[in-house]
Amino acid sequence: MHDLILKNIVKFITPCIQLFGLYIILYGHISPGGGFSGGTIIASSLILKHITFGQSSIPSIFRKDSALKLIGFALILYSLMKGYSFLGSQFHFPHPPTGVPGNLFSGGFILPLNIIIGTIVSATIYNIFTLFVNE
Amino acid sequence: MALFHNYYDSASIVLFGIGLATLMLNKNLIKKIIGMNIMDTSVFLFLVSKGYIAGRNAPIITDKYEGINAYVNPIPSALILTGIVVAVSVTAFLLALTIKMHEIYGTVDLEEILKMK
Amino acid sequence: MKNLVCIIITVLIIGVLLIAASELPEFGNPDNPELNSLSKGYIANAMIDTGAKNIVSAVILDYRALDTLIEATVLFSGAIAVMAVLKGIE
Repeated sequence: MHDLILKNIVKFITPCIQLFGLYIILYGHISPGGGFSGGTIIASSLILKHITFGQSSIPSIFRKDSALKLIGFALILYSLMKGYSFLGSQFHFPHPPTGVPGNLFSGGFILPLNIIIGTIVSATIYNIFTLFVNE
Repeated sequence: MALFHNYYDSASIVLFGIGLATLMLNKNLIKKIIGMNIMDTSVFLFLVSKGYIAGRNAPIITDKYEGINAYVNPIPSALILTGIVVAVSVTAFLLALTIKMHEIYGTVDLEEILKMK
Repeated sequence: MKNLVCIIITVLIIGVLLIAASELPEFGNPDNPELNSLSKGYIANAMIDTGAKNIVSAVILDYRALDTLIEATVLFSGAIAVMAVLKGIE
């Protein structure tokens, strides 16, 4: 688009939206939020940048083929962390320490799983948007 | 009456009826997809309102743990998250099919498509 | 004519569902039959087992982590289905 007000404001406000979404993802085990809502907020900031500046302003890891590889790799990581229960009932995976409730690094596997879900949701919703836009 | 006391159930059933009427009465394909989305939302409202207990707080532990009788049932909230994601996925697929139909037939009106074949 | 039949069908369905919903338990009663020992067990043990202060996050990411994996797979396959319809399978 060739609007001067839109370009200047989007250039200023996109890091603020992404920082807010990252806070909701990382503090998902202390305050309300989690992977799904934080991933949607980051996807909406990517869609705003795509509308204003064109397709070349998004890093190439979110484009078509690289995004599919990223989502597949993230799903394999998730199933490695929590898929051991199909092998039997006496397997116990060594997990990160539980820690004091209230810190950032507490709660075992909950923090890495939130980050993985956030990347999956944001990449998927941005990819569905790029399929509907024609240019 | 019992229907006025649990008002979330009757409101969600009326919303379900509105969505069904929108689905059946319009001829445009996009308005039918909107009606289906309204029906999805009404079912989510019905299921989430089944977990409320009068006089208790949200299931987030703030300063110290207050016992077993101070929090709302957390299970229906956790089950609806999966349902919302599935509804988004189905709506995206329906809209893609509508774009394909517009490319082949040239119109989005259902009665003209039925007359054209 | 077709509009009248559609409206009559909708009013019938709403009527039958409202008659069924008038016999449901009361809203907000702590003695409802759906509050069994499972929710009490989740609230009592969530902070000790997992160390998370958000009970809903502890339920969907620790006690029921497989459901969240299947849901992420459904979202990914929805994107693949949209790509297959609009760009063509090759």
